[in-house]
Amino acid sequence: MVQQSIPGRLPVALATCALACLPLCANAGAAPGEAAAPAWKLSGFGTLGAVYASSRSADFTASVLRADGAGHTRAWSPDVDSRLGAQLDLHRGAWSGVLQVVSEQRVDGSYRPQLEWANVKYQLTPDIAVRAGRIALPVFLGAESRKVGYTIPWVRTPVEVYGSLPISSSDGLDATWRWHTGPVQHATQAFAGRTDQDLHNGLRIKADNIVGLSHSIERGAFSARLSAAGARLNTAIGEELFAILPAFGPAGNALAGRYAIRDKRVSMVSAGMGIDPGAWFVSAECGRTRTDSLLGGGTSAYVGVGLRRGAFTPYLGYAQVRADVPTRDPGLPLDGLPPPLAAVAGQVNAGINGLLATIPVQSTWSAGLRWDAAANIALKLQLERVRPRDGTRGALINDQPDFRRDHAVHVASVALDFVF
Amino acid sequence: MRALSLFRPSLRRLLAACVLGIAAADACAELVVVVSSRSTVAAISADQVAAIFLGHASRFPDGAPAVAVDQQLGAPQRDSFYRELTGKSPALLKAHWSKMVFTGRGQPPREADGDAGVRRLVAANPSMIGYIDRDALDASVRAVLALP
Repeated sequence: MVQQSIPGRLPVALATCALACLPLCANAGAAPGEAAAPAWKLSGFGTLGAVYASSRSADFTASVLRADGAGHTRAWSPDVDSRLGAQLDLHRGAWSGVLQVVSEQRVDGSYRPQLEWANVKYQLTPDIAVRAGRIALPVFLGAESRKVGYTIPWVRTPVEVYGSLPISSSDGLDATWRWHTGPVQHATQAFAGRTDQDLHNGLRIKADNIVGLSHSIERGAFSARLSAAGARLNTAIGEELFAILPAFGPAGNALAGRYAIRDKRVSMVSAGMGIDPGAWFVSAECGRTRTDSLLGGGTSAYVGVGLRRGAFTPYLGYAQVRADVPTRDPGLPLDGLPPPLAAVAGQVNAGINGLLATIPVQSTWSAGLRWDAAANIALKLQLERVRPRDGTRGALINDQPDFRRDHAVHVASVALDFVF
Repeated sequence: MRALSLFRPSLRRLLAACVLGIAAADACAELVVVVSSRSTVAAISADQVAAIFLGHASRFPDGAPAVAVDQQLGAPQRDSFYRELTGKSPALLKAHWSKMVFTGRGQPPREADGDAGVRRLVAANPSMIGYIDRDALDASVRAVLALP
């Protein structure tokens, strides 16, 4: 990490926001007697990974928002876990700013960096902080830090739980209040905002009216977090199908209303806990996502346990997600339709069911070893048995016509995580 | 068997020497958590100290603002302080702070050079809290918690 006084040049967006405010109340929240010198710090994180998957007819990935992965596209893929992140922190008195960019494989296959965090924080009191700008959504146990592999024991957060979040960031406001009851430390965070993310080729995913609450508890080795978030979602995924449906009258309109992602309410709730006295740890979490659309909804859970023996951390984990909505739909009734129309209706039905089959139902057993090889560097080896269920493709992508549903895929991963 | 039993007493002696040696080393390196002699903080629990040093709390039990001061990375005081208090190795501590930093939740405590450096900083500021060897205590700071 590099630490210095503020130099002349800074990223424009953050500088204008942060610096415009700084002279106003430079010393307001600084600790008494502590110098409030403006300072900046550059830090970063990354993962160099390689993943092998036994399937040749679908790709294993860490997220659905990827172009490809290991398995069908190539047996060994560097794209599943590899990423690089850089962060600039600015600090002056009660004001601070953070700018974080992350480069990882995107839906279009590029590694174009994305702005993960960009906000200005004002520390109102030692216990209350407000932020304006972009934050990663504080949902699940650690959705905000899931990209920093070094902070987690496993190679990646379970795809069943974290792989299908419909939205992961919010541009808006949030406030965190820290308080305590006896020896228990609490942090309550409320947030509100919106997001508009470009997936690729102009396909966007927009969420408005994002609101949520996250509450964390720490007591010695025990920690827990409850979170809930909701938003109204809009995206053009599947729009070519929904454009045809009204031609089929009330039945078509009903289908479009059920599945089109137009102003649909999404919600994510989760509860997670961990116990980590040092020599061993256990963490468990369950969550529920609803979208009232073709993105489906599901209940997910995982449990992970590990032992720490010197620099080595062997671990075991189990994760699963099941759909809370049907992953098939009879679609438009074909009876009584004239043959040309019946053919179109058949195609529409196949299209809808093709999309519904991407709602993941899957379970994974994993075993691995983390080796803290050197200061700030961890090397991990992980073996997994991934089983898509209920005729879905699970959390796999790029499934081919010869993809055998309900068959386990074996995955082996090596990852080198670093922070600097 | 006979050869083994011949070895046993010396093994036992060796073990005893090890245990004593470790105990002696621990006794020498007893750590105390200190605040300024001008601070109003009387006593503080191990959990509360841990919460302040891990960035989960920013106040003393009496409500006064608290600012942690660390020994430098690699200092034996630092390693045994976090091991005793939180069970965390230097690598786990790095993972903890990486999580805090990369989610914009906070920065690790500032570092001071050795017992003398920590004592000087803490003595000068009633909101600061640090840890030093018991042998390094003087009138400028006050011990509020002893770590075995």
